[in-house]
Amino acid sequence: MIARRQQAGANPRRIDARLSLLDRQVLDADRVPVQVVGDLELSHVSLDHPIPPGTPAPVITALLSGPVLATRIFGGRPPTSRLHRIDWADVAEIDVALSLSVRGDTLDVTWVERWVSEHIIGRIPGGHSDPQ
Amino acid sequence: MVESPGVTVILSDLLHLPIRDDSGRTLGVAADARFEITDDDSGRPAHARLIGLVVSRRHAGSFAGYERTSVTAPWPIARYLRWRHRGSFLVLWEDIAEISPQAVRLRSGYGRHPAQL
Repeated sequence: MIARRQQAGANPRRIDARLSLLDRQVLDADRVPVQVVGDLELSHVSLDHPIPPGTPAPVITALLSGPVLATRIFGGRPPTSRLHRIDWADVAEIDVALSLSVRGDTLDVTWVERWVSEHIIGRIPGGHSDPQ
Repeated sequence: MVESPGVTVILSDLLHLPIRDDSGRTLGVAADARFEITDDDSGRPAHARLIGLVVSRRHAGSFAGYERTSVTAPWPIARYLRWRHRGSFLVLWEDIAEISPQAVRLRSGYGRHPAQL
């Protein structure tokens, strides 16, 4: 609600990534928590080359989740293979939490939870039943 | 949307980088990145375009962004953090001449814009 309150009805609206995106909870289409935003993937940034005037600005292409706590404190970045992507096209709303337009069980970021559910929890008697 | 050539990076690659002017003088560090969100007809945030970088003259960390918002409570914390981040400013993407893993270099005649949202 922070970004929305500040700029109600504004389109386009402006937000700062660390204030309104990083560490925010991500909810899937069923309002089930999926992850928190660990980082953002930006498109088309020229590194180590002069940026010609008039070059279009980068855009966010994906939300990233992974082991980012240590690298935020001590610097560096986690290996790309350890980061899970959620396409920006799947983001439906930016509020106190970020809402997706897809279900969490279709995302790579939830594969550990799905594997544990299927191979461990599901083998425990009663493990297939939803909690009451 | 027209896209510029380059590589895919993550935001952490930009945050904490020193910001330098065209003569190499360090102006501060990238404390945050400002984006412009454009909604489509259904209200979905279709595009998030980088507007620029928030430059803090002293500290890369900016707890709660007090210096960029109108939040004033609790006032001792708000006053302390505003003082701590005094002099923060926004540099626009158009004023960025080069990004390297070591620093961000600005064009000559770059503008300092208010950091407030």
